Amino acid sequence: MRRFRAVVAVLGAAVLLGLTACGGGASEHKTTLKLYNDKGAWKPYFQQLNATSKKQIGLTNQPVGYTDEPTYQSFIKASFRTKNKPDLFTWQVGSQLQDIATTGQVADTTDIWNQGVKSGDLSNDVKKYYTVDGKQYCVPLNVSYWVMFYNKKVFAEAGVKEPTSWADLMADAQKLKAHGVTPFYQTNILFSFVWFQQLLLGTDPQLYEDLSTGKAKYTDPGVVKVMQQWKGMIDKGYMSDAGDKTDPGALLKSGKVAMVPDGTWFNTTMSQLKMKPGSDYGTFVIPNVNPSLSTTSMAFESGPLCSLTKAPDPQASLKYLKWWVGKDAQTTWSNSRNDVSANPKVTSTDPNLTTLTKKANSSSTKLYLRYFEAAPPPVLTAALDGFGAFLANPGTYLKQLQNIQQAADQYWSQHK
Amino acid sequence: MRIGGVIRRAVLIVLGAIWLVPVYLLLVNAFRPGADYTGDHVWTPSATFGLFDNFAKAWDNADLGPSIGSTVLYSVVSPAVGVVVGALAAYAIVVLRLRHGFAWFLAVYGGTIFPTQMLLIPLFLGYSDTNLYDNRFGMVLIYTTISVPLAAFVMRNFFTGVAYEVFEAARIDGASVFTAFWRIYLPLSVPALAAVFILDFTFVWNDLMFGLTLSQDQSVRPIQTALSALNSAYAGTSVPTVLAAGLIVSLPTVALFLATQRLFARGLTLGQY
Amino acid sequence: MTAVTDRSAPPGTSTTPGGAGRRIAARFAPYGFVAPGVLLTAVLLYLPFLYTLYIGFTNYDGLHPSQFVGVDNFVQFAKDPALLTSVRNTLLWVVGATVVPVVLGLLVAVLSHGLRHATWYRIPFLLPYALSGAGLAVIWGFILQHGGAANQVLTALHIPGGDTSFLQHGPANTIAMIIAITWQQLGVNALLFMVGLQSIPVSPLEAARLDGANAWQLFRNVTWPLLRPLTTVVVGLSLVASLKTFDIVWVTTQGGPGRSSETLAVTMYRDAFVTGDYGQGAAVAVALTVVTGLVSFVYLKRQLRTVT
Repeated sequence: MRRFRAVVAVLGAAVLLGLTACGGGASEHKTTLKLYNDKGAWKPYFQQLNATSKKQIGLTNQPVGYTDEPTYQSFIKASFRTKNKPDLFTWQVGSQLQDIATTGQVADTTDIWNQGVKSGDLSNDVKKYYTVDGKQYCVPLNVSYWVMFYNKKVFAEAGVKEPTSWADLMADAQKLKAHGVTPFYQTNILFSFVWFQQLLLGTDPQLYEDLSTGKAKYTDPGVVKVMQQWKGMIDKGYMSDAGDKTDPGALLKSGKVAMVPDGTWFNTTMSQLKMKPGSDYGTFVIPNVNPSLSTTSMAFESGPLCSLTKAPDPQASLKYLKWWVGKDAQTTWSNSRNDVSANPKVTSTDPNLTTLTKKANSSSTKLYLRYFEAAPPPVLTAALDGFGAFLANPGTYLKQLQNIQQAADQYWSQHK
Repeated sequence: MRIGGVIRRAVLIVLGAIWLVPVYLLLVNAFRPGADYTGDHVWTPSATFGLFDNFAKAWDNADLGPSIGSTVLYSVVSPAVGVVVGALAAYAIVVLRLRHGFAWFLAVYGGTIFPTQMLLIPLFLGYSDTNLYDNRFGMVLIYTTISVPLAAFVMRNFFTGVAYEVFEAARIDGASVFTAFWRIYLPLSVPALAAVFILDFTFVWNDLMFGLTLSQDQSVRPIQTALSALNSAYAGTSVPTVLAAGLIVSLPTVALFLATQRLFARGLTLGQY
Repeated sequence: MTAVTDRSAPPGTSTTPGGAGRRIAARFAPYGFVAPGVLLTAVLLYLPFLYTLYIGFTNYDGLHPSQFVGVDNFVQFAKDPALLTSVRNTLLWVVGATVVPVVLGLLVAVLSHGLRHATWYRIPFLLPYALSGAGLAVIWGFILQHGGAANQVLTALHIPGGDTSFLQHGPANTIAMIIAITWQQLGVNALLFMVGLQSIPVSPLEAARLDGANAWQLFRNVTWPLLRPLTTVVVGLSLVASLKTFDIVWVTTQGGPGRSSETLAVTMYRDAFVTGDYGQGAAVAVALTVVTGLVSFVYLKRQLRTVT
């Protein structure tokens, strides 16, 4: 009986609690900042920074990880309306950043950017991705370049070398295939856009940019040609089975595929698989398809770390962001993951990565925002569906492009 | 009957063997050292035993420790309370013959028809307003609620199989309606209660979405939220590590299955009452 | 709330037999007993859904202030080119994920019932249910992907299908995932049927056996009718779960390739969370809920009315 009473009491209290809303808390002084992120796997890397940040600014972070990106983003947006706002949170550049910045809730980081560019901690090239209506919001959480990872042993056995031109790359692919190795990795889930992005950037970067801004159509001859080229590579047997769900790192390691186009964050995967940079695997800048272009096009990815104007302790959050872009924080942060840093002063412990960074920042290379961020979400969703369907039936490329364009038409008719 | 028994056993063994094939794949690949996994030869066991290394890596990367206590709390308390609440409702509807019983039943069972994904954001907003967000009590509450409709459904249909004379006899003996429920109907339905408890326990133990949306502190968040960190493109976690973590986290549920099997072993016949 | 519990509590504690208080208590006790369940579901499940219902008539994007747009979202949903595929797949799920796991679950429960060491025969079927969603996805990824374990086995045994891509084309990918769900769900159904079998009195079985009925006749004429309350539970639960199928599709194919394995719940999630049109997703959720509610209502009404 007593137990029953207890149950009833608990339920009654629950309902009462449900009815009595409590007022919002005033701003407080925080020493631990909750860092909400969609990269749950990076928890240990976030935590590694705490010793230094505690010493230097008296603040530490506590990562709150999510993995399913759509759920994460809806959750963060919803939190803007509640008193449970994150101290810090990761986001996406492109239209996603624009979306939240225009609500006026995201903290302005213009000062951090101005000082950072002046002191050399931040680069002007990256700034534009963090600019909405002339002001800056958030700071770079991470930066990655999209390059080709390859298995050195497989390359040596097949007698091929790092290519310097598209023709070289195709010749390599031919040799690798003859050697019994699938030259390139591709997938039909999420990262299905990678080859589209690469081929289009290497053929006509202007068209790539025009597509992202709605000035060009997916049914334009230039885009159709790119799809035909992709199909051609599939037909020649250069591409891996897009339906294979095996982790690309495992495929590269086993030598089942020779090359994986990926962001430099793929280095983290390689080290988890005990692959050593320089001896087990290498990276190269993917050459342009069109040799007459004056600069090599490279896809570039950056994710923001943001705070809110009404964060629990806005001062502390901004202080942390300012510290974040500095050299000490960035050295630990990028080297622990063996990825590029947004801070040009940081030198990598991996010579490969240093060379790559140098190339990416030289005048012979031009960076373009990754397709995933460049395309507005509804268009991106339609495109990922379209590429997935294309990979299942390569003959249907025209139909897929029409479908994507339909979504683009609808989007751009409302967002001009 | 002997031949029948042999056929029954044979069918169960064949079907069971088929059912164990994916389990075999799970075990073989969870035992494989993470760095040896290539996606080939998934059928062949590895010569090196890597389970503990894989699990240690998962433990470190995902930091499973802090969430274990809360997860046990949620997955024991919520289904237990949910089962009793559901059984109470069923008892009122079937045994006490509540007026418009079918409508009341539909009201409770109707809680299952909503697509869960669309409840998350409104629940988060409501939880934020009422300080239930990131609160163990709030988590117990939602998990309890999720457990109620199943319990009400199973118990409702289970009670229909109990002769009404049982209730009348108890009342004549002077038992109150609640005593009849607590002393007679609940003990009578142990297998049904256990089955519902097991199903709800497993649901809560394996829940990811409510945990992610309604809590943030690692001591409040359930274990699957920590585990999910291993499973993303940026993680670089090897497949054996993911599997080893999944395997070990499933062990409490398996243990519960085994421990409660005794309850289903023999025909506890209601006809005896 | 407190008033109701007060009414329900006294009968147990009351020492005075009979009396007006007790009679009143007995009259209201049923409401007190049903109240906790109704309140919990009302506050934590119905209320959030009302919010979704409201959003379904707006152009809410999860961030900016929204406007009322009438039935626009529903019209848009009806015009969605993937709607037909989505409905077809959902129907496949309803039929496949209800019939197959229920029949097999019944088979396992009935065959193992009363066997010596029955526990051991059932374990293989219960194990899969313990596995979490991510584990399930990885394992079935191995098996179903092109060149995966299933293809390898078919090739080795020289059975046609060694080169079939189970996940690449609709509706084969949906069927493949139904097999995966069957693997996981069978144990649950068997468990519930086992509960049902235990509640069957021994006497009618004995009587029928003495009349010379064979095993099939026993099952057909005695066990099956008496098992009906639990059959209703198993089928009812499977109907709802299959109409709402989301998790396995999302982790295995994300509804692709090219939306070919999308279910209504995936369409809903895609609209609300992936493209960020929360109002549109809410409209799909409302449509899905109405269908699920109607199907459940019709099924339960038929089944439960005749039982009680």
